[in-house]
Amino acid sequence: MKFITFILSLALIAPAYSSDEKSAKELLLNMAEAVHNRNFDASFVVVKGKSMEPYRWLHAKQGETELEHLSLLNGAGLEIIRIDDQVTYFEPQSAPYSIATDSIAGPIPEVLFKNIERLNQEYDFVLGGKGRIAGRPAQLVRIESKDEYKFNYWLWIDAESSLILKSAYVNHNGDMLEQLQLTHISVTEEPAPLLLEMLNKEFPTPLPSDAIAQKTDNLASNNWQIGWLPDGFSLLKSDRHKLDLNNELTDYYLYSDGFVEVSVFVQRPLPGRRPSGALSSGATTIYVHNAGSFDVSVVGNIPASTAKTIAESVARPL
Amino acid sequence: MTKAHVNKLDDQDLSALLDGEEFLTDQEIAAKESATLGRYALIGDVMRAESEDDFVLDISDSVAKALESEPVYADFSQKQNTEQTTQASDNVVAFNWRRPVAQLAIAASVAMFAIVGVQTLPQGDDSPMNEIPMLQSTPLTGVASPVSYSSEPALENAEKGFRELQQQRIGALVLEHQRQARVAYSLEKAQTKAQAEEEKK
Repeated sequence: MKFITFILSLALIAPAYSSDEKSAKELLLNMAEAVHNRNFDASFVVVKGKSMEPYRWLHAKQGETELEHLSLLNGAGLEIIRIDDQVTYFEPQSAPYSIATDSIAGPIPEVLFKNIERLNQEYDFVLGGKGRIAGRPAQLVRIESKDEYKFNYWLWIDAESSLILKSAYVNHNGDMLEQLQLTHISVTEEPAPLLLEMLNKEFPTPLPSDAIAQKTDNLASNNWQIGWLPDGFSLLKSDRHKLDLNNELTDYYLYSDGFVEVSVFVQRPLPGRRPSGALSSGATTIYVHNAGSFDVSVVGNIPASTAKTIAESVARPL
Repeated sequence: MTKAHVNKLDDQDLSALLDGEEFLTDQEIAAKESATLGRYALIGDVMRAESEDDFVLDISDSVAKALESEPVYADFSQKQNTEQTTQASDNVVAFNWRRPVAQLAIAASVAMFAIVGVQTLPQGDDSPMNEIPMLQSTPLTGVASPVSYSSEPALENAEKGFRELQQQRIGALVLEHQRQARVAYSLEKAQTKAQAEEEKK
């Protein structure tokens, strides 16, 4: 009898625990699911230091097809359209092109809508306090870097709909470097007509993803040795190509730890005695290192000190 | 005093009566069918602009009032819908999504846009960032503040040229990073897939 009571009490307590506090990871997984399955129309702004970028973000699920549209509303603009696993970028300075991928590379790190287990090794998931964001009750989830070489990322998730309401890159002093804040969101039963219209459009055909990967293998350049990167970063791509804007030739390396991307450029040095130094805009750091016979530039959402160390570790192979 | 008698009464007389040109001398008039009487009375009222609300010919006020109480939607989708339906009928147009405004923008503006916020690098009092030199960059205002440049004009001009070169390069790098980062996720997925397959072997 005692045993049965014990079992019963366990059964009663267990759900009480689980419904009380969801773990940070569960909340993130719920958020990813909500973002993929709901029809919503949201507006948000990204604040980087003194500059601000407003976006509109629409998402719908029509049958088994996911439709997503993200557009930058200021300046020349940028339109990103996703239909299931094809993402098309419309930019003012180049012809539209498509990539075979199932998430938009926008201001919110893509991995958050995907498998965040990937980040376990380098980041901790911590539950923060509750608050009110965009007029709705929200729960803070902090993604904290395990070392000081990367920024932390904080997210506020809607307690009811599980959708993201706010997020920020936070440095290790607790300063918010780049904030994303929803100003409006409406969740609807029916997909927005604008998104359904997309189904009737033709988009450029993307290169198959294997082709991109193979191309990298062929072009893997052993021109430079990059001596140091924070733990968890792996090389995704390396090649030599010309930059679009100024036609300069560069040796290019793309690294990622699953959360942020880091680009390393090695180029012919510019004339004149250029000092090494960093620039930053929001969470994005650009570190320009003058190594004498070549220039190294590191770009990514990483602290300036990390970018500096990476840039200075680049050397000619022995 | 029958109805037949009333009908004989000329409508003209009735009208004259209402206009105050004749007097109600005959009780018969009161028995005139009320509908006709009422209609005549109304016409008279309107002509003299005495009607209160039924026959206001100037409707601009009431329209304005109605518009005021109309709920306002910050929803531009309707407008776009009409645009798109016209496009949809034209099979040739595939990429008219972007409004022509975007095409006016020059390439460099995007890159510049990316660096404008540059000088505001947050510097904590005791952060290690203070050890890192900060480049000055104000591409749009043209009042870049050199750290320790020579004051000789020729050298200054040369320095300015170099600065512009570096500025261009930084803009190009930022744009390139943004673009390359777009394929990062699919590349990573392809890599992990390949690794998983290798492990199987």
